[in-house]
Parts: sequence; structure tokens; C-alpha cells
Amino acid sequence: MHPVSPWVVASLLLLGAGTYSETSWKGVRQAVPEISRKDLEPTLGQGVLLGILGGLRTVVADATWLRSYVFWEKRDRAGCEALMKTACALDPRSRFFWENTGYAVGYDFAHWEIRRRGGYAKVAPDIQEGIFRRYAQLGLAIFEDGVEHTGGNSGILISAGQLAEIKLKDNLLAAAYYRRATQAKTVPWFAYFMCARTMWEAGQKKEAYAWYSAQWLGKLKKGEDGAPDDLERLRFMEDELKVPVQLRIPRQTWEK
Amino acid sequence: MNARLNRTSWIARITFLEAIRQRFFAFLLVLSAAMVVSSVSLRFMDFGHSELKFVADFAFGGMFLFGSVLALVMTAQLFFAEIENRTALTLLAKPLSRTEFLLGKFLGTWAVLGVFVFSLAFLQGVILWSRTQELIVLAAETGRVAPDFSVSGLASFAVLQWLRLGVVAAMVLMVSAVARTFLFTVIVGAMAIVAGQLQWLAQEALLKPSDASMVTKTLLWISSRVIPNLQQFNIGDTLVLDPTAISGTAVWSVVLSGLFYLVAFLALASLAFRRREI
Repeated sequence: MHPVSPWVVASLLLLGAGTYSETSWKGVRQAVPEISRKDLEPTLGQGVLLGILGGLRTVVADATWLRSYVFWEKRDRAGCEALMKTACALDPRSRFFWENTGYAVGYDFAHWEIRRRGGYAKVAPDIQEGIFRRYAQLGLAIFEDGVEHTGGNSGILISAGQLAEIKLKDNLLAAAYYRRATQAKTVPWFAYFMCARTMWEAGQKKEAYAWYSAQWLGKLKKGEDGAPDDLERLRFMEDELKVPVQLRIPRQTWEK
Repeated sequence: MNARLNRTSWIARITFLEAIRQRFFAFLLVLSAAMVVSSVSLRFMDFGHSELKFVADFAFGGMFLFGSVLALVMTAQLFFAEIENRTALTLLAKPLSRTEFLLGKFLGTWAVLGVFVFSLAFLQGVILWSRTQELIVLAAETGRVAPDFSVSGLASFAVLQWLRLGVVAAMVLMVSAVARTFLFTVIVGAMAIVAGQLQWLAQEALLKPSDASMVTKTLLWISSRVIPNLQQFNIGDTLVLDPTAISGTAVWSVVLSGLFYLVAFLALASLAFRRREI
């Protein structure tokens, strides 16, 4: 045998193993907590190499989250954001990290920015409004990332809806988030009402009633208690919209 | 063939006994076990995960971190001890081929790594089981859904980790076969482990369509073939806590991939060792 032949065979074996690992990796890729190259960038220099490599990821994410509070207390926006996003990247399936990062960015950072510029008395109201809106948009982007990574978590969608409602004053956008929350796997009982309410407040009163009543008849009514609070709100809407009696939701036997 | 196997198993047995008596092994095993046990009492530090996930992640981390250190340092140490003490010369003067010697060293080391991984997995199983029983009672009181974990998933994960450490040991043996010093082997081996854990980045960059240059693509192609993908063994969370999310075929595919790497690295190590001056 030529002296080089075994080397060629062994090298081919390694190349074959490398090629096959592509197939095996595709099979288990979904099971490994996603951390893309884009997500890796903010984690660089944060001392979380161990988490990125694969071990102790949850623990490192928790420790990173604790460290982010040190920056939060110092009102250090850059440090706080970097560490919070690192925690999200290390454990992207955790609702807690996404939700609280979105809250910090969407609600707190704007206040820090205004204080940094001299305080509420010095910064003009329209500038303040602009700052609130800008950070709210950033917060919403984080919530959207969270929704994507957690497979449409309803809690994050509700938080996004609240941010859109409170800071952006955009009831239609909020309603869209609440509506998405009602389509999630586990829906909080109040999501339907929040969606209908924000549509109602946005001026889409008829649409809000149509959607809410369809949800009540299709889903909520079948619940254990028949969702009496939702029905009560629907009765209020029917009265407000002066819905003819024959078009209203039929009176329930248990209704007061 | 039988004689070859006998000689290899003899070397493996000696290596196993030598390694299992090492204080370094005992130290890492105790440290990892302490980590697994302490996970329950440290759970108050957790944010927003299920309790079992936190406990499981602690043990997986111990297996990953200390297992990698053990595979790296112990393999290199056992190999270089034979070279530096000149016992390798005595052994190889007998009717024992270099491949048999190297294979025996590998099997002995891998067996010790097996003791390490399966002891920790057993301990983790006990901890998870006892905590699950407590959580079931709590869940019944509060009307929540009781958490659960898969024992067979834990066993599969232990096998995967053992295989991963086997790939690491084979890789370190390959480096040892060409290296002159223990320190060099440990440093290069550690870098290889880190590269292996991050290899999937190169693999994913190749799989996704991009406008990267030909040179970049070639480099990515080579690195994704030469460096083993060690991240694919990191599926403990899913196997133990959500076993339905992964198919048995995918797990077998990872096992097969690990075995391919193992054979390839051992073949290269054997070839390199044949040409080495002792």
C-alpha cells in the first residue's frame, strides 16, 4: 500500500463525518436553544462564553440578568440593555427575559433619557413625547423578537399591546396585539375584553362588538362559567350601539 | 485478531485503573456532584424558568464543563505520562502495535469518562425525581399541571454526552500524537473544544444562501468538515423535559455522527502516532 493512502482514507473519513454532521445537525437544530450570529454580537465581551458554548446556559442567563440590575440601578442605559439582551439571547425561550427587557426599554429608558437631558421641567413636552414614542417602538421590537422566539407567547403579546396603548397611544395597534394573544395556545381570560375595549376606544365600535360577540359565542360561552363578565360588557356594547333585540346575543338562563 | 483485541483491552484496563485512581478525577467528580446537588437549593436564583429546567441545566452544565476538562486533561496526561516515564518504550518493545497502544489508551480513558457521565446522570435522575415528587404534591394543592421529566431522555442524553466526551478524547489523542508537550496539547485541545462548540456557526453560514466570497465559502466548508460539531450533543433540555419535541431518528443521527468523528479522529491519531519518535 502506498504510504500516503491511509492518510487519504482517514482524511476522507473526517470529511465524511463533517458532511454527515450537517444532516444530524439539521435534525436536532430545533431542539438547541436558538442563538443566531446576530444574537451573538451583543453577548461578546459580556463574560458569558460558557453559556454560548452550551453548558449552564440557564444559569449564565440568570446571572447575566442579575448583573443587568446593577446597571439598571445606575440608570446606565447601554450597559443595562446589553446585558438584558444577552440574557434574552442566552435563553430565548424564557418569557421573563423578553417581557422585562421590553418593559425596561419601552418604559424606563425614556424617563432616564429625559432626566439625562435635564429633567421633565427642562425638556419640552413634545420632545418628551418623541422620546417616549421612540423607546416604545424599541420596546415593541423587543417584544416582537420575544414573541417569535417563544412561539407566540400570549403574555408577551399582552405586554406589547399595553405598551402600544399606554406609550404610543395607538389603540388599533394595541388591539392587533391583544387579538394575536387571543389566538395563542394559552389565552388569559381578559385578552378578549382588552382587544374589544381598545377597538371600541379606537372608534371601531361596531367591529369591536362583532368580533367580541363572535368570540363569546364561539369560545368563551363554552367555558366552565360561561364568561359572565364578558357577556355583561357585551350587553353594555349592545345598549350603546342600540342593537335590535333580535340581533342581540340570546339571553342566557343564568344571566341576571 | 483475538490477540490484538486482548492486547488492546489489556492497555485499556491498565489505563482505566490508573485514571480512576487519580485525585484529579475524584476531585472533578465530587465537584460536579456537588453542583448537581446544590442546584435544588440554588433555585431561588432562577428567573422565569420551570424549576426542573433550572435543576437540569445545572447538571448539564456540570457534565459539559467538568466533563470537557476531564476529557482534555486526563487524556493528555495519561498519554504523556507513558512517554515521559518511558513506559511507552517498554510496552512498544513487546508485540504491541502503536495503534493497539493508542486504542487501548482511548478506550481506558473513555471508560473513565463513562463512569463520570453516568454517575452524574444517575445523581441528576435522583434529584429530578425527588423534586418532581414534591412538585406533584404542590401542583395538586394549587390545581396546576404537575411537571414531569423523561428518564429515558436523561439516559439518552448521558449516552450523547459520553459520546461527545469520546470525540473530545479522540481529538486530544490526535493532538497528543503530534505534540511534543503536555501543555501544548492541553492548549490546542481546549481551543479545539471551543471551536467544536461554535462549529455550527460555520455550518449554518454555509447552509444559508449568502453573498460571501468564494474564499470565505471555501474556508467555511473546510472548517465545518474538519472541526467536529459538538453543539449537536447539547439537546439535554429537550430530551429530558420535552422528549416529544425531538424524534428518535434525529437522536440516532447524532449518535452516528459522533461515532463517525470518533473513528476518523482515532484513525488520524493512529497514523500520526506511527510516525512519531518516542
